Amino acid sequence: MDEGVEDVPDEAPTDRRFPRRVYRAGREPDPRFSLANERTFLAWIRTSLALVAAGVALEALDLPIADGLRLAGALVFIVLGLLAPAQAWLGWAATERALRQGRPLPSPRLGLLLAVGTTVAGLLVLVGLLLR
Amino acid sequence: MTDRPDAVFDLGLQAERTALAWQRTALAMAIGALVAGRLAVPVFGAGSLVVAVLGVVGAVVVLVVSRRRYRAVHESLSARGDLVAVRSAGAPIATLAGVGLLVALLALAFVLLR
Repeated sequence: MDEGVEDVPDEAPTDRRFPRRVYRAGREPDPRFSLANERTFLAWIRTSLALVAAGVALEALDLPIADGLRLAGALVFIVLGLLAPAQAWLGWAATERALRQGRPLPSPRLGLLLAVGTTVAGLLVLVGLLLR
Repeated sequence: MTDRPDAVFDLGLQAERTALAWQRTALAMAIGALVAGRLAVPVFGAGSLVVAVLGVVGAVVVLVVSRRRYRAVHESLSARGDLVAVRSAGAPIATLAGVGLLVALLALAFVLLR
């Protein structure tokens, strides 16, 4: 931006922080943003735990839901719970990189999939309850 | 000794809020592990309690690591104003994402094998 010179980050040669793909890019951002990014990561991890818990509870508790639909709902919840940590890590790294490079923040890549999947799982459980 | 600090280095208490986010994640892990262990006993036998114990131990590790991390963040913020001095920046984050994947895989196995 300034004078068309590439921004050489002050810490680049000595910055050994993991992952280097993130920390070798750009320059140090406002730490408040990095910490907010870390909290977003943790929120995704807790979301994953909640999704997994929902899937396990459907199968482990003796619920009055039609068998096939209940299993399908449980599997959808758990597969979403499997995707959430991937979103957590990839989203954290992509956001941290964008913050360091002063670029616009990426959108949550798996956000739509998780929204649709949660809706589908909820519908499966609802129909399963009604058909029982 | 009535001086006030020269400048606010942690505007919005970001370090505290992040430490609290780690703590509630650890709490969710511990409770999840205990409930999962309890639910798995009728299906897989008493061995399931090992999973519960491992989960609680994991949650304690997260608490200890997050405590150290909070200190490192606090010191880096107050001394330098940024997070460059936090050496293990992404390692606990990557590890926790891996643990999350593992937990989901175990849940998948539980649902499919029971």
